[in-house]
Amino acid sequence: MEGRGSAVNTTASRPVTRRSKSYGRSCVEAPSYFWQTPGHLTVLKIPTSRGAARSQLITNKVDPEHIALLVKNEWKLSYVTPLHHFRHTQLKSYSKHLAAFIAAEKQQGVAVEVGLEVGFKVTFTAVLGLAETDEDAETVFIQIQSKPVFAAAADAPKVVWRGWLTCVNGDPEYLRSLPPDFVSLPLFCTSGPESLTTLVKSWFERAFDCNFGSLALNSTTLNWLAALWTGCHSTCNIRYLKLAWSLPSQPPLDVSYTVNPQDAWELWNSIHPEESTDDKIDIKEVQSFINGLETHFFRHFKIYLSAGTLVKVSTALGSAHLDGKLKIGNSDYITTLLTLLTESALLKMPT
Amino acid sequence: MADLSNLAGLVSEPSGEIDSSVSSVSNRSLRLAEKEKRKGVADPFGLAVKYLSQVEAGTVVRGNDELERNMVRVETVALSKGLPPEVITMLLDLALSLNAGTANCTRVLKFLLPATVVPQEAIVKGVSWLCVGKMPMNAQVLFVRWVLTVFDLIDCKDDLRSIYGFIFSFVTEENLFPFICHLLYLLTMWEHVHSYRVRKLLDIQAKMGRQPFLTQLLALYKVFRPDLVTLSLPSRARVKNWPSIPPLSSAFDSNSNKKVFRLQELRSFKELLENIHNIELPAQMGSLLGSALALHYLDCVQDESAFLRLNFWLGHSLQEEFLLCPVDGSSDNTSEACRFLSTILFTQQFLQEGFSSTESFLYKFLSVWDGCLLRPQILDLLSDIPLMPSFYMHKLLFEPLKQLYFTSTVFFKCSVIECLNSMLVKWLTWHSVSASEGGLDISLNSNSTITMTLSGFMDSVMELVRFVGLLASEGLRLENCHVLLLNQTLAFYETVCDMFLKYSLPLIIMPPAGVFYPALFATDSISVDRLGYIMFRYRKNLTLAKKQEQQREQTFHISRNTYKEFNRNLQAMVNSMWNSWWCIPGSDIEIDKDLIALSKVAEPWCRFDLIHHPALFSYAIEFHQRCWPERKNVDLGSIKTGKYWNWYMEFLFNQGFDGLNNFIQTNTGHGSSIFNVVAQ
Repeated sequence: MEGRGSAVNTTASRPVTRRSKSYGRSCVEAPSYFWQTPGHLTVLKIPTSRGAARSQLITNKVDPEHIALLVKNEWKLSYVTPLHHFRHTQLKSYSKHLAAFIAAEKQQGVAVEVGLEVGFKVTFTAVLGLAETDEDAETVFIQIQSKPVFAAAADAPKVVWRGWLTCVNGDPEYLRSLPPDFVSLPLFCTSGPESLTTLVKSWFERAFDCNFGSLALNSTTLNWLAALWTGCHSTCNIRYLKLAWSLPSQPPLDVSYTVNPQDAWELWNSIHPEESTDDKIDIKEVQSFINGLETHFFRHFKIYLSAGTLVKVSTALGSAHLDGKLKIGNSDYITTLLTLLTESALLKMPT
Repeated sequence: MADLSNLAGLVSEPSGEIDSSVSSVSNRSLRLAEKEKRKGVADPFGLAVKYLSQVEAGTVVRGNDELERNMVRVETVALSKGLPPEVITMLLDLALSLNAGTANCTRVLKFLLPATVVPQEAIVKGVSWLCVGKMPMNAQVLFVRWVLTVFDLIDCKDDLRSIYGFIFSFVTEENLFPFICHLLYLLTMWEHVHSYRVRKLLDIQAKMGRQPFLTQLLALYKVFRPDLVTLSLPSRARVKNWPSIPPLSSAFDSNSNKKVFRLQELRSFKELLENIHNIELPAQMGSLLGSALALHYLDCVQDESAFLRLNFWLGHSLQEEFLLCPVDGSSDNTSEACRFLSTILFTQQFLQEGFSSTESFLYKFLSVWDGCLLRPQILDLLSDIPLMPSFYMHKLLFEPLKQLYFTSTVFFKCSVIECLNSMLVKWLTWHSVSASEGGLDISLNSNSTITMTLSGFMDSVMELVRFVGLLASEGLRLENCHVLLLNQTLAFYETVCDMFLKYSLPLIIMPPAGVFYPALFATDSISVDRLGYIMFRYRKNLTLAKKQEQQREQTFHISRNTYKEFNRNLQAMVNSMWNSWWCIPGSDIEIDKDLIALSKVAEPWCRFDLIHHPALFSYAIEFHQRCWPERKNVDLGSIKTGKYWNWYMEFLFNQGFDGLNNFIQTNTGHGSSIFNVVAQ
């Protein structure tokens, strides 16, 4: 059907260079890590196995005051593309700029000088020690306090918003592939009014040419969390394993399923024995753990949970919701949790 | 004061001309002397200007008829023709110095209409008079307003910008304040924005509240120095107008030591060229897409981080709009998205390249696309996809496209073929350009460059052509050889048949039988003519390939199969159209004679000759009518006899069937029934 040139001399083997002046990087060749996994294309390969959750005294590494800030709130999760020209040495100046920006946005049409504290006080803090690898950038915590104009001198400023940007065990290959003027802190957790979140996001977008998107977790991530947290029960009492399903029936059926922690652990231990030499947990083991729980439920209630969606997992160690809400219950397991969430955030990066 | 000694001469030409027409016979030198003498007399305007330029401080104004007379004379000219630059300078100085009195000051400012341009020095001098502080307030206001009115006519603004500080000092004057703000707005450059000026303006804001002129000036300050001042302009409606192109603005860590040029300061292409070596990128790379000048600059950017920023933004916008957030179906949303995609398309066409984030977005989007949403934009973007290794083509492009193609209407099928045709043309053009540049690596960034061998490139082209061949043959079968689809397909093969001659790609691929025969037996004459043209071009390409192969020592090698295939098609075409016989020796599509007999068609072998072919039949009838208008029985066979045949050929070719004409001219010895196959 076709006659084609065979490579018989230099003309045919001369390399042809794909002109790529206006491409950041190609998405079909290294170093872009463009993977096709069933259903979607992502920057990274989705791992099928990971290490078991290990407890570590995080307060040995990180300032306990900082850790306390992360533990007590419920966080709404977002992903953010790499920050351009973000410098951990400039946090003070960022505080001033963000405060002025918020003040200007709050009173539309009135210009605000950068550096004057009017109405809002913003504090950027580096949470040192949370990073696990050399490629991870240090976590940045942001706090917004409001200072009402007519407040009495003795009134302490009220914290109205908190948020932090983090990267724990981020894919080293991806992080290394970024030029040095980028800082990747892909996971953004916020707590406070949505209007302030929007303002903070839009300030970041203008200042560091980055973009935010909401980070919904998928059932696979929740499955992983359920298994990883249950596995911790032998070293730290998880008190309960609460799972919530949503079933697409008419009307929709919400199922809340609380499992005795010891029972859950025994089920998990039968699938992945604690004393097993292999430290790695495979996705198949996680899947059979969840299947085991679902089968048990079916035996009692004749409802196939697998027909629905797992929407929430919670234990004393923390809770995570499908729509991207997170609570951290115990700081000693924070690394495992943040590793998993960093990975989810990196998977959202546009290629 | 400007030297006005020769001013009168400047404006006195017309009178001189009248003069010469009257005294045409007189002595030349005498005439010149006369002219010189009469010039002053005949040019009252020149004299008036001269008079006014000599008005000194302390001149009595009241009751000064001479002053009044000259003033009126200049005023009349100003109002009818406008004033030349030198006169503007002189009059402005006269007015603002108050030498001719306060009343005349405002009077002059009201008729100070430039004929061409306003010299910058006039304004600078005016500002210095303003600084003297003698002028009454209404004159000051009038002066600044006059500057604003003629601002675009000021020949150059450099000196004016260097006295920015003097002009700025008037912001505290309550009456002048709005106009000074406006003037500052027009003059402000990056280097004028300082924290002490910001503070001054903010003090005024605190006193006077939100004033539009002040807010706009501050907003401009913010564009240049977001590190000093921040401001949010109230938008009319707080609706989500997303995705959108961000505005151009400096990064707030913008380098303040180096003398750099900012994209938002760019006013002309000339400025871009003069400053191209030290242009600073904006805070958000996406903002470049909103400015035509910035796009020119984008074409020269070689910074990997810059493109990464652009691609992150673009990829994120596309992903959030089309992949993560389900479209809620509201038409408003779609029109926003449509505008956004059109901007990207425009940019890509301008740069003659696609962005990698658009590319990867399309691969993801194709698998969830319904084939309807924003179809023209999506397919146009798809045609911008750059060359890629054939391995990925199947997975990322062909599989999803195939599913959409076979489950959609014939019009969608046409659009897909058209899109792939345009993609092929872009690939081939890219190849011919890079080949003519001697394989020079144009990309300066080795990281982002895919190196592909020529044979790899040919593999990709071959895969694409083969894929379209498959889509087309199956599509034509499914759609009953729809005439639009057939024409779109033939347009594609018009590109394919000329790959060697037009794009110097040593690759010749023949159309599959599923395309060739539907075109050969098509019922519309355009398709048949197009096929003729395509076969004619194939022949040209193959002949040249053969020649080059014999001349040089095997530049490349076209397989024997290609020649065989071409010859088989050629034979089929010539046999059915010219020789009225069907048997194609050695062909795998021989039709059983008994089967044809069952159709009871008389003389089936000549049903597709140039007379009986369904696409040409009506022409044969028309020809017959013209030749034998009185005949009752139509006997088309008589066209074949003698001179009528040649006439008929001429008649056909006069209908515009150039493709068929070329085909017949090259493949048959003119008029004979022998056709020449290309030697294998």
